[in-house]
Amino acid sequence: MSGLVAGLLILAAGSGLLVVITRDPRRQVYALAGNGLVLGLLFLALEAPDVALSEIAVGTAVTPFLFLVALAAIATDRVGR
Amino acid sequence: MSVRLRLVILGLALLALAPAVAHVALALPDFGTPTSPYGQAVNALLPELRHVTNMVAAVNFDVRGIDTLGEECMLLCAVTGATVLLRGARGESGAERAGHVPGRPVIPRADATVLACRIAATLTLLLGVSVALHGMTTPGGGFQGGVIIASSLLLLYLGEGYAVWRALVRGPVLALLEGGGALLYVVAAAVPLVMGRPALENILPLGTLKDLYSGGLMIVVNAAVALSVTGSFGLLLLEFMEETRAPDHDSVPDEEGR
Repeated sequence: MSGLVAGLLILAAGSGLLVVITRDPRRQVYALAGNGLVLGLLFLALEAPDVALSEIAVGTAVTPFLFLVALAAIATDRVGR
Repeated sequence: MSVRLRLVILGLALLALAPAVAHVALALPDFGTPTSPYGQAVNALLPELRHVTNMVAAVNFDVRGIDTLGEECMLLCAVTGATVLLRGARGESGAERAGHVPGRPVIPRADATVLACRIAATLTLLLGVSVALHGMTTPGGGFQGGVIIASSLLLLYLGEGYAVWRALVRGPVLALLEGGGALLYVVAAAVPLVMGRPALENILPLGTLKDLYSGGLMIVVNAAVALSVTGSFGLLLLEFMEETRAPDHDSVPDEEGR
């Protein structure tokens, strides 16, 4: 196992932990996006560029965005009624 | 359930499972050693059989193409379900004004932001098209390209704001892409069947290895997936984004009649 992969594995564990221990939902979304980016780089280092592309596009762009929109919708709805 | 009881259950579970986990963990192959005979066979055989260099695409669109067709239909159903759920509660009328949380200041976008987003959205769109087109030769393919194209829509929203974004991104167009892509996939699977061959069997010239045109029918399937994924993810983003628009007064009341 090269140092790059080992470092990325540790980063993945650390950023995953960050998602779990973050309590504010909005910050948790950003932590999730960060975790997705680290996972994408890890897949790239493990020579799986196809999976890395999907992970980066879905895990750092689309999923966090859907969560952010859901949070925004809840915020507008709650105040509106 | 008290903390003590939970700890006892945890201890019992660990006692039962830990030996099994240790046994499996010690029997795993070494890190990074490719041992899968299937993977080795694919690497050895497919460049010659299918004239493609991206094995992942070859496996997805040819070797297990029918599985991918199933996944394609799953994506279609999932997005349709989400759309029906969200639209059912919201109604079809499109107020093209962004919702606003009272008390939070609305800061207008700087010109630099708008310009940067326009440039970045264009480049992302082109990258997505390129990744999708080169699916047979380089890493990527229809799914990855489609998601990248859809995420360029996000950059468009970031720069232009809700109203302009709604005017630019049309729901029916995305729905057409989504359904049309899935239909193209089904047609690609059915045409060989009609000719009396197995479904998805290659009926087009295979093309040259490492060329943009390589892989025969896989190119059609790849394009179908790219269209469908672009439409699906775009529609998903659009439907979720509609949830944040300013509430209009003639929207359908929910179950409690509010």
